Amino acid sequence: MNVSRRWLQAVAPGLDLDAGEIAARLAMRGAPVERITDLAAEIAGVVIGRVQRVRRHPNADRLSVCEVDGGNGTVQVVCGAPNVRAGACYPFVPVGAVLPGDVRIKRVRIRGQESRGMLCSARELGLGTDHRGILELAGQFDPGSPFAPTVGLDDHRLDVEVSPNRGDLLSHMGVARELVGEGGIRLADLPGAVEHELTVRTGSPAVDGAGVRVRIDDPRQCWRYMAAVVRGVRVGPSPEWLASRLRAAGAHPINNVVDATNYVLLELGQPLHAFDLARVAGPGIVVRGARQGETVRTLDGERRELDEGMLLICDPGEALAIAGVMGGSDSEIGEGTTDVLLECALFNPKGVRAVRRALGMSTDASYRFERGVDPAGLELAIRRTVSIIVATAGGEPAPTLLDACPRPWRAPVVALRPERVGRLLGVRFEAGDIVDLLEPLGYRCSPAAGAIEVTVPGHRSYDTLREVDLVEEIARVHGYDRFPDGLGAFRPGTVPDDPLLRLHDRLRTILVGRGFLEAHTTAFAPAEEGEVEVLNPVSAEESHLRRTVLFGLLHAVEHNFARGARDIRLFDMGAVFGGDGSGGLPRETNRLAVAMTGRRRPHHWSAGDRPWDEWELRGLAEELAAAVRPGECSVEPGTFDSTFFEEGCEFLLRAADGSAVGGAGRVSADRVDAPVWAGPVWGLELELGDGVRRRPDPAFRPLPAFPAVERDLALLIPDSLPARQVLEFLEKGGGRDLVGVSVFDLFRGGDVADGYRSVGFRLRFQSGRRTLTDSAVDRAVRRLVQRLKEEFGVEPRAGAAGPGR
Amino acid sequence: MSEAGSLVDELRALEREAQNAIAGTSDPAALEQVRVAFLGRREGRVSRILRQLGGLGPEARPAVGAEANRVKQVLRGALEERERRFARERADTGTPARDLTLPGRDRWRGARHPVTLVVDEICDIFARLGFTRARGPEAETEWYNFVALNTPLDHPAADEQDTLYLKGGGLLRSHTSPVQIRILEEYRPPVRILAPGPAYRRDTWDATHAPAFFQIEGLAVDEGITFVDFKATLSEFARRFWGPGTRVRFRPGYFPFTEPSAEVDVKRRVVGADGRVEETAWLEIMGAGMVDPAVLENVGIDPERYSGWAFGMGPARIAMLKYGITDIRMLYENDIRFLSQFA
Repeated sequence: MNVSRRWLQAVAPGLDLDAGEIAARLAMRGAPVERITDLAAEIAGVVIGRVQRVRRHPNADRLSVCEVDGGNGTVQVVCGAPNVRAGACYPFVPVGAVLPGDVRIKRVRIRGQESRGMLCSARELGLGTDHRGILELAGQFDPGSPFAPTVGLDDHRLDVEVSPNRGDLLSHMGVARELVGEGGIRLADLPGAVEHELTVRTGSPAVDGAGVRVRIDDPRQCWRYMAAVVRGVRVGPSPEWLASRLRAAGAHPINNVVDATNYVLLELGQPLHAFDLARVAGPGIVVRGARQGETVRTLDGERRELDEGMLLICDPGEALAIAGVMGGSDSEIGEGTTDVLLECALFNPKGVRAVRRALGMSTDASYRFERGVDPAGLELAIRRTVSIIVATAGGEPAPTLLDACPRPWRAPVVALRPERVGRLLGVRFEAGDIVDLLEPLGYRCSPAAGAIEVTVPGHRSYDTLREVDLVEEIARVHGYDRFPDGLGAFRPGTVPDDPLLRLHDRLRTILVGRGFLEAHTTAFAPAEEGEVEVLNPVSAEESHLRRTVLFGLLHAVEHNFARGARDIRLFDMGAVFGGDGSGGLPRETNRLAVAMTGRRRPHHWSAGDRPWDEWELRGLAEELAAAVRPGECSVEPGTFDSTFFEEGCEFLLRAADGSAVGGAGRVSADRVDAPVWAGPVWGLELELGDGVRRRPDPAFRPLPAFPAVERDLALLIPDSLPARQVLEFLEKGGGRDLVGVSVFDLFRGGDVADGYRSVGFRLRFQSGRRTLTDSAVDRAVRRLVQRLKEEFGVEPRAGAAGPGR
Repeated sequence: MSEAGSLVDELRALEREAQNAIAGTSDPAALEQVRVAFLGRREGRVSRILRQLGGLGPEARPAVGAEANRVKQVLRGALEERERRFARERADTGTPARDLTLPGRDRWRGARHPVTLVVDEICDIFARLGFTRARGPEAETEWYNFVALNTPLDHPAADEQDTLYLKGGGLLRSHTSPVQIRILEEYRPPVRILAPGPAYRRDTWDATHAPAFFQIEGLAVDEGITFVDFKATLSEFARRFWGPGTRVRFRPGYFPFTEPSAEVDVKRRVVGADGRVEETAWLEIMGAGMVDPAVLENVGIDPERYSGWAFGMGPARIAMLKYGITDIRMLYENDIRFLSQFA
């Protein structure tokens, strides 16, 4: 809402504040000012100039040479405007002053004649679009005095941010009421505007009078329709006081009739519409729903196709306007208009909202109807508009105001318990205090037993219908800053700290400790990366919800590759979405993704670099799996998501129940756009579940009392036999005293035959009851070798079993 | 006293003197001077005594010679010992042989995302005020995102958030407030939770807008919770987060699911370029208010008995303010040169 400071002061004569002070006060009332524009600042250098003499330019037909008194003596100015005349006053820019757009006026020669300054049109001053001639000022002024005040521009425009519940602040009267209270506001004095003797004739659903019939066919959407007729108007430009007031509030003057309706819209908040009565058949107004296939051409020149039931203002034949949204161009006020039909109506906010959304438009009128127009303010608004039209366009008002009113408004009454006010706000308010706080806003209070009966004024009848709404009004007017803020006692909540968020914390600690950077990717993905489609996406890249988190991380890897980075380690945790959830919603699960490429550690001068490899990846996968699913997640060669990893270089993470919960591997070359110098990219994706699986408390085992004995065993294992099987056989079959088996060496070539590799296992024996003798351990190893031969046909490498390190 | 006896005494005095001189040296150059002064071939004081041996009688010569050799040996040993000590010290402070000034083996430094840092800090502060963390789905229904939060879809308030809808039903939550409803359906008061997580709006990317952004929801519901508690708790948070001396301002605002509603601003104290403490402009940090009784009714909680307050905060915006980041897109580009600054 654009508010003019001067206009505010015209409706609130006691408001003795500058623009900044007004803004500060509004902010603390819940209507912050986004911007204050000093309307005079841009044209501060422009003064009044009086043209003393005009003669034709000796060398150009279209130009004249003027002598202009700009306050500092008379100067010669060459002017191209056809309307310049001696004796009149114009806005004048002397040499050295600056025009809007940072144009500095210089001394120039035009066709041999010196010109020392410039006489301006309205457009050159940013005051409008009129460029047909220079702006002649009505009346006489002192040459050299500042120009801005003469056109009402010593003003400020405040852009007030009005929340959706406060439709009452979408007018100067409403803002003024908030600032100074009901008692301090009144209608502004307007030159020539007088009150006319008009009688209201009410009917429902139809009413006749003033030669017009008004009928409401849809009382659900149109609650009230008032109409007035003014005959014999002369349509033309508005007088300067009206035009400049509209300009100050950011509106463009159009003509005196339309400007009168816009003036009242901005002053009282009531949208009005003026029809050319000659274009209204009947003449009669029918407020009804649109018929199938009906269209109307609106004021903006668009032909609008209407849905059945959209509320229209019609004559008995066809549609004239879209109710509460926009008028039609066929009945528009034009230069030839002599008789005017004024509409001042009250429409259902939800209906107006539905129609204007369906049509994809929003106007000053629809904006106010949606937020609620004062149902008690219609008569004042239409009388005011008639007065202004007669004052500026002449004509004679018909003595009857028509009022079709199928839904008479009755002020709501709300019971307000002072005890409840204190209980919610934490500060005690007496009934008398409450009355003093509410009445300036227009509420009428009558104390009754235990509660105050609060009668709600029309302008607040949309948003303060409950006791709690009035509690807010009390807090707001009392001032939020006046409530104490000392911390009191509290009871801890019953909600446990979310286990998944706790798991997030643990995973972050692990990965950050391993040198990984936490990325933030979004849930959006292009079509090929997601199953769930967004109906109204911002872009094709964000048209779906992601199926994996890794996809976004690989995108981030590419971003960093493109900036020359070789060593990249990223992770992120977030939701992924699938198509088959319950309750009409997608299936949503939480995942961790990790991506890395380049070197395992920063380069050090003492040694060469080692890149990430499958063993680093596997180790990391095992560590993360253990953090996510303690003791019940295995890592094995296999495929989790076939689209990401290279075949033969991928791991599958499996939960205890056998279900696949994640994968890791070397990212396929076609999944990541890598420069030639980049190393392989490794990735991991892991389902996090809900995080409720916690590691069970460790059960303490006594420390071993007897020494351990180690034996190394190199076995020749054919390539067809996975080493894991041998490892597991050793772990299970080695007896109670075999407490650990690890792989310490892998060897091919040399004396090892083709198709075989030598795998070195280190076996660790330890007993809880005695010191193991070498011979007992050797017997155990020989037994194992024998059983391996029987089970797998595996032989020890020559000189096999030996002592450990 | 014989001539030989006095020479032997002289040698022993020289030995003591030399030992003291060696012990008093602080660097190899001084040590060399001491060596030359006592054992120098021509001018060394021990050498000069040895040169006098020729003038002695044959019976005195062996005793003095033996003593002179002993003193030479002892002093050489002391010089070497001193030299070794200097060498050890050189090794400790870096010599060409083992130059420990060279850089050590570095490790990659990981980092939490700057938004995570802010979320964690906020959650830590509220944890001390009795709050736990909660979570809800990001794909939501209109009921949880709007209706249960007292935001009818046919009201202009629903326009404030341009919502992304999903094919097949549902929408992407436009704020974290649906978690309020989900938690109040599941748990009875007292409830004190924070719900950090992503929210989504139909915004195009620019320096200050992102279609996906983090939010932190806060909710406290119990008997006897008042506007004063609300102001007190959030003021306490603001002072702990932004530092003591921070001023907190509550302005009336509008949210369909709180009443009274407030916008919360802070004015921080910062040390300016000239070293003086100055106050920043007011910064808007959250929207908040007392839980609207209609919201409590929607989850079956009696608003006559229970009351509460709630807030919504944007940790991305706070991270930008805190770390001086000027473009929100930096938070989602995942440029490692950016992310590693938070290590």
